[in-house]
Amino acid sequence: MKRRQPHAGGAARVPNAVLGAAGLAAFLALGEVVPRLGIVKERYFPPTSRIAGALVDEIGERAFWTDLGDTLTGWALGLAIAVGAGIVAGVTVSVVPYLREATASTIEFLRPIPSVALIPLAVLLYGTELRSVLLLVVYASFWQVLVQVMYGVRDVDPVAEETARSYGLGTWARVRHVLWPTALPYVMTGVRLAAAVALILTVTAELVIGAPGLGARIAVAQASQAVPEMYALIVVTGLLGLLINVGARSVERHALAWHQSVRGEVAV
Amino acid sequence: MRRLLAGIAVGTFLVAASACGSSDGGGASDKNASSGGTTTVKLGVIPIVDVAPVYLGQKKGFYAKHGLKLSLTTAQGGAAIVPGVVSGQFQFGFSNMTSLMVAQSNNVPVRAIANGVASTGVTGKDFGAITVKKGSAISSPKQLEGKKVAVNTLKNINETAVRESVRKAGGDPAKVKFVELAFDQMPAALDSGQIDAAMVVEPALATVRSQGATEIASSLVDVAKDLTVAMYFTSNQYAQQHPDTVKKFQAATAESLAYADTHPDEVRAIVTTYTKIPAAVLAKVTLPKWPAGANRASIEALEQLGQQDGLFKTAPDLDKLLP
Repeated sequence: MKRRQPHAGGAARVPNAVLGAAGLAAFLALGEVVPRLGIVKERYFPPTSRIAGALVDEIGERAFWTDLGDTLTGWALGLAIAVGAGIVAGVTVSVVPYLREATASTIEFLRPIPSVALIPLAVLLYGTELRSVLLLVVYASFWQVLVQVMYGVRDVDPVAEETARSYGLGTWARVRHVLWPTALPYVMTGVRLAAAVALILTVTAELVIGAPGLGARIAVAQASQAVPEMYALIVVTGLLGLLINVGARSVERHALAWHQSVRGEVAV
Repeated sequence: MRRLLAGIAVGTFLVAASACGSSDGGGASDKNASSGGTTTVKLGVIPIVDVAPVYLGQKKGFYAKHGLKLSLTTAQGGAAIVPGVVSGQFQFGFSNMTSLMVAQSNNVPVRAIANGVASTGVTGKDFGAITVKKGSAISSPKQLEGKKVAVNTLKNINETAVRESVRKAGGDPAKVKFVELAFDQMPAALDSGQIDAAMVVEPALATVRSQGATEIASSLVDVAKDLTVAMYFTSNQYAQQHPDTVKKFQAATAESLAYADTHPDEVRAIVTTYTKIPAAVLAKVTLPKWPAGANRASIEALEQLGQQDGLFKTAPDLDKLLP
């Protein structure tokens, strides 16, 4: 009973990072115990310690860092292009009513097409280069941004918009001072989603096509029957995803610091 | 902040555009980079033991001697290599014979130009085999009727080979249930009993062997003695436009194959540079054969079996396909 009190009262006192680390530690311990007890075969699912050993070996190899760099390049470039294009296209389509009508069904048609289905096209166009990866990454993450931007623009307060109009603000000024601040939280959500999707697609493209990067390295380990190395590399992609998510959240917090406080006041 | 974001977006666009531009330039110069007597060609390979000779040949300078610089590009399989070669992303590629014949019968403009890899031709000592779990009741391919047999790709060379083993043992291949499974997943699937048998090739075969599995047939040997399993190929267009480069590639590859065939230790050493096969596994891997030329009779046998199993819409024209 005594223990529950501080928990219930001060949930914010236990930092999320500590809870997260505890969860991860429990997971790793489970990964160590389950193969050791023979519940799954060690040969196909090595215990955490062996994966960690393989990870240390990987980190010591120069080729690993080259591959990591390739993956990060694919991710960053793909994300940047998708975010840029998503914002521009989203705002343009939303601001021009005719365009919105004309593109709605096309967007709904294209959006659910899985990016990996475009792999043969990507290979035909660009072989196994970075551009193949970019095609898939941009295709997958573009929609995340686009759709969020469109929701964001739809959320613009008509009174504010009309007020801006009656003050004689031009289109560009209205986009900057009315539309963009309203849409920004949505855009940030889109960027955060796109960041994760971009990483998944970068690794998938490398894995399936064989473009240089962590994904290709995983595929080679798989084909080589190097099981601990394979899991070690998979762990690396997981850690990357974690870092990217933390990074995206902090960018979001910084970009919206002004906004949440304003929102908070209005809500109260 | 907003200005900064916009700046970043525009900046990355430019970087992306220039990156594309520069690699376009690279691609163009690849084709005519004969200056200094060296032509750079892109070769699409799969990171497996089979392609060790080209890695070795490059290291030994066989390609350089013929005025070629190989840019080895690894792809995950024929799915990426054939379209890559046809669209000119790679000048040369590596593919198994059935895939090449299927492509040819579908009028995909490919031409095999150099031998790739061949089976050892020795039953029980080949780099591919139908394997069953330790203690399995199955001891002959005939008993695979009604059983689940894993092959890496349905309707391709390994399925043809398994069918032939079953047929030769007096069974009906039509009664075998084929399932598609990647080679690397076969050991675990076999071990856990998800499949009854698996057509495995190295290095997964070494793993399966270490589990005490039994080999019940060397299917690639059953298709034909000394079967030409895979070859290096190019597109018809490239072959027509660059006959000299093709000749150089053929000469250098023939030398590399011959060298690899007689230097197994160097082969095992070079394999560690582009795969992650653990040393303990690699030592037990059965190396394939690398004859300098393709065995046409064996390819004809493979074609006939493919015909029988309905792999080709029309019969592939081997005169057009083979060098």
